[in-house]
Amino acid sequence: MNVGHRVLIVDDHPSFRATARVLLEAEGFDVVGEAADGASALTEAGRLQPEVVLLDVQLPDIDGFDVAARLTGNDDGPVVILVSSRDSSDFGPLVMRSGARGFVPKAELSGDRLQELL
Amino acid sequence: MTSLNRALVAIALAAVVAGGAAAALIVSSGHTPNKGLGIVLGLVTAWSFVGTGLYAWWRRPASRFGALFAAVGFTYLLGSLTASDDAVVFTVGVLVANVFFVAFAHMLLSYPDGRLRERWHAWLLGAGYALCVVGPLPQLLWGWTERMRDSCPDCPESALLIERNDTLRDVFNALTSVIGVAIVVAVLVILIRRWRAATAPQRRGMAPILWSGVAMLVLLGTALGSDAAGISRLTDVLGWLGLLVFASVPCVFLIGLARSRVARAGAVSELLMRLGEAPGTGTLRRRLAEALGDRSLQLVFWLEDKGRWVDARGHPFALPADDDPARGWTAVELEGRRVGAIVHDRTLSDDPELLGSVAAAAGLAMENERLQAQLRARVEELRASRARIVEAGTQERRRLERNLHDGAQQRLVALSLTLRLAQAKVHKEPEKAGQLLAAAQEELTLAQAELRELARGIHPAVLSDRGLGAALEALAGRAPIEVDLAEIPRDRLPEPIEAAAYFLVAEALTNVVKYAHASQAIVRVARMNGHAVVEVADDGIGGADPDRGSGLRGLADRVSALDGRMLLDSPAGSGTRLRAEIPV
Repeated sequence: MNVGHRVLIVDDHPSFRATARVLLEAEGFDVVGEAADGASALTEAGRLQPEVVLLDVQLPDIDGFDVAARLTGNDDGPVVILVSSRDSSDFGPLVMRSGARGFVPKAELSGDRLQELL
Repeated sequence: MTSLNRALVAIALAAVVAGGAAAALIVSSGHTPNKGLGIVLGLVTAWSFVGTGLYAWWRRPASRFGALFAAVGFTYLLGSLTASDDAVVFTVGVLVANVFFVAFAHMLLSYPDGRLRERWHAWLLGAGYALCVVGPLPQLLWGWTERMRDSCPDCPESALLIERNDTLRDVFNALTSVIGVAIVVAVLVILIRRWRAATAPQRRGMAPILWSGVAMLVLLGTALGSDAAGISRLTDVLGWLGLLVFASVPCVFLIGLARSRVARAGAVSELLMRLGEAPGTGTLRRRLAEALGDRSLQLVFWLEDKGRWVDARGHPFALPADDDPARGWTAVELEGRRVGAIVHDRTLSDDPELLGSVAAAAGLAMENERLQAQLRARVEELRASRARIVEAGTQERRRLERNLHDGAQQRLVALSLTLRLAQAKVHKEPEKAGQLLAAAQEELTLAQAELRELARGIHPAVLSDRGLGAALEALAGRAPIEVDLAEIPRDRLPEPIEAAAYFLVAEALTNVVKYAHASQAIVRVARMNGHAVVEVADDGIGGADPDRGSGLRGLADRVSALDGRMLLDSPAGSGTRLRAEIPV
């Protein structure tokens, strides 16, 4: 069981947010909030102070890579894990450069996979 | 006789009567020297202004310039009242004797249409008219100047004389002269500015009238200045010179008119000869510009099939509006058929006969250039349509990627995660696992439906396998409104035509559902005279704009790529009919 990590889920598809919440909570994570776009992700991250942000790459306003760079700009920022229904090879070195800790394809998301990256 | 002609004859008769009265006044005068010379000069000047003005009026009834020209002649006759020996009539004569100067300036400022350009010009002229009447008042109130007494020792006394006061008179005289000079300078400035702003054809038209007017105003202004300075001999000489120039204005105007006509007639004959030498060599515009003396001249061509004007490069062209002050246009026809138009400086519209002969001469050469312009327009259209097809392809791929990503792919992700959850719970919470599997099943059904819809949008399988008829029946069955398939070809059409027809009907029905507020649509596809004719009609609100939205334009491009054409008839309130004709 993965204990206690406070997670913020950022994705513009409500069905993914709902499923990811159920999945992570079932595996012991504490999902503290959700956001549907980049701007509200930044606001919610500031307000809720999560330890982990599960961040979709393709958002309707700000690109997920930019959001990741802004969230990880400070030393006390959260750990950012990028997710996408695309493969990481679609994005080349962008994942590494964004400041994110890692990348998980959406279909492979699980508590264990997340824990490996933390 | 038209009412205009009757009015002109009446005015001419009035001028004869007024001239006769003026002559009678001078003959009976006891103080006017050189009566014979005065009568001849006065009548020649006045009648030549009236006559020329009436001619200009008759030539261009819409312009007020001729009327103003004639009015100058009438105002000039007012001066003859000073020949009266009656003190009151004589005094009135002195008050109105100079009105013709301002009437003349009024005419100059109103060239060529008889209308003042700006409001302050009217104020300036108003001040001028007032000054004409006020100007002689100092002498009439406080006694004649020495110069006046010397030049007319037998003139009657002023009927307005209060008492003799040389100082008051001289002060006010100087003041009115200074104001007079200022008004003359202002008029000159307006005229010179107008000259500088004019185009070449405008300058040619205004030159005779403008320069004789400027010369007269300069002489008059200097005369007023010298009068204020008390240099009486110079005032006399300049005054006479000014009158001489003034008297010559009608003559100069008529000579200018005749010269331009002769020159233009010569240019037209030369144009005819040169067009005969080498027709349709692309130099038509230059030759017409030379013949009409208008370097800004443009040629535009009429494309009958498109129902629009294009320039020589085949680009769409908007003709100048009827009330455009700078540009006008003249249609060019060949054997009663419109082939193009000459777009020219507005001043050329004053000479419709000339434009008519040039347009008639240019007909054949214009037709040759029209064919070239038509070809260029076609190439231009193809280029634009090709670019749009490429862009539409890119857009379509983007749309497909987006639809796949947001639709089926998201459902598959959710399905994968749900199955993972179910797997985790299958032993500990089998009931929960069962619920999750049911949700997964539902997600899978939705993903399948979305993929099916997407695949159909790319290219419906039934179209390839069973042909247009079956595909249209399926399309009609899925439509949310009643669709009547009135006619469907029995035989298969070539594949690209079937595809174009199918997507045309699909897009048209989408538009009907979205915008037309229709209850029913009728679809007809038939083979007629070597063409596949596709028609979609509805009973909606009409008013569809083919230039709005990319859907219809994309279809038009698709049809045009198959050498076909698309027509949209959508009058407001009477439904919409979209028709495409594609050669088979």
